[in-house]
Amino acid sequence: MLKQLIRVQWSRVRTPVILVALILFALPLLMIRANGGPDSSAVDTVGWWLHSAQVIGHAIPILALVAGLYLGIAAWTDDAKGGHVYALTLPLPRERYVVYRFLAGAVPITVPALCLLAGCLIATASVRLPSGVHAYPIALASRAFLATVVCYSIFFAIAIATRRAVLIVMGLLVTLIAAELIAGMLHLDFDALASAATLLTTWPGPLAILAGHWALFDV
Amino acid sequence: MAYAIETHELSYRAGKNFELREVNLKVREGAIYGFLGPNGSGKSTTIKLLMGMLRAQGGQVAVLGHAVPKEMPAVLKDVGYVPERPHLHPFMTVAQAIRYHAAFFGGFDAAYAEELLETFNLPADRLLSQLSKGELGKVHMLLVLGQRPRLLILDEPTDGLDPVVRRDVLTALLDFCSQGSATVFISSHLVHELERICDWVGVLDRGRMIAELPMHGFKQGIKRLRVGRPPSLIGDTPFILLMREQTPYDEIWVVRGWQAPMTQWFDGAGADLKEIVDLDLEEGFIELLRASRVPA
Repeated sequence: MLKQLIRVQWSRVRTPVILVALILFALPLLMIRANGGPDSSAVDTVGWWLHSAQVIGHAIPILALVAGLYLGIAAWTDDAKGGHVYALTLPLPRERYVVYRFLAGAVPITVPALCLLAGCLIATASVRLPSGVHAYPIALASRAFLATVVCYSIFFAIAIATRRAVLIVMGLLVTLIAAELIAGMLHLDFDALASAATLLTTWPGPLAILAGHWALFDV
Repeated sequence: MAYAIETHELSYRAGKNFELREVNLKVREGAIYGFLGPNGSGKSTTIKLLMGMLRAQGGQVAVLGHAVPKEMPAVLKDVGYVPERPHLHPFMTVAQAIRYHAAFFGGFDAAYAEELLETFNLPADRLLSQLSKGELGKVHMLLVLGQRPRLLILDEPTDGLDPVVRRDVLTALLDFCSQGSATVFISSHLVHELERICDWVGVLDRGRMIAELPMHGFKQGIKRLRVGRPPSLIGDTPFILLMREQTPYDEIWVVRGWQAPMTQWFDGAGADLKEIVDLDLEEGFIELLRASRVPA
């Protein structure tokens, strides 16, 4: 049952997932070539190199977000097209079907994560690091995997949400925007959207994993 | 008597304009039950309630002895369902759709499905999105028959299909029924189609059950009578008077449960029975609908 769901889901999402996986594989290799690569003899050059590698690393959370968004929505697309009728006629409890759907949609995340890990390991092995600089291939790949899973889970839940739930979320957003506009008119020091974004992206916010440094190499 | 489907006072309201009112259905095990009704009468809604896709606002539903929707997984294990509109994933090939479906139904008979694939002359490697409407209808039927279900719930399974495909699909259905004791609940507004295969009929109109009877009773028992000197007050009748309509010279009565000896009743009532018209199933169906729509 789950095997069939995974197989079908993979056949639906493989092209974009492979594309993301290739980019993630290439990113660590780009990092080691940034600014001509590390040069242990010049402290300034190493600093620039580390900085450039970290800038390239920021592409990883963006890709995690995009992949999570795509996979989360894709997990339900085919069921939604048929009005969920087929799923509702299958002889298994609905909650179990949701779990299977979640797992089937999450399995493709392993492909970009493994590609990133491979890219990180190759990049680490092919560069002679200056003293004091360390590589974190497994930590970076694991964090990218977890970030994608978090984003996937959020969009998976949104994609299956009832119309009422979507309306509540939309209503909340509209309220925030309205609050910000009113605060602006009254010259109050209140930035509702920024506060909400901070709340989401700082611990224990659900998107905290996306923030911060995404460095393969660090001191 | 064991019933494959039993509803009691089933009620459901969707918006302001549509309501199912106290629908009582009794589908015996092993029966081929035709669920008749004009478009918009509530057939598909009733079926969705039976399948647990909608929640009833009143009454009870039991399918194969299990309460719906509480025990749905147990029900769905033994139910083959063909919905009104195609619901299969169009990006799958026929063979993939069979494999996918089989994965969810433990008792799926792959050999029988293979046999049906040949019988229906379906291309296993073609995408469902590339199939004609008739071929898609056959795939639906193949999948549910392959389950070897105890109960088949078919919502207008032949709607829009050409006569040849329709015959193939219904023949496969009858073959399947002849192999075991499956119950079939088939909805349609194509009366002649049901006449050929069903042994029980239920008629739904505007969300109300207006008749439920054996097919032979439906075919033989509904008559149109032309009555001269009709009594103004009608007491107990041996038949069920569905409708009376005045004409310039006499009255037209539509009755149900008619038998030949009942002509004597008219002598006793002082009326003059001028003509008895046999109605075919379609006419009987139309008269039933007309009768149900006449204000009390």
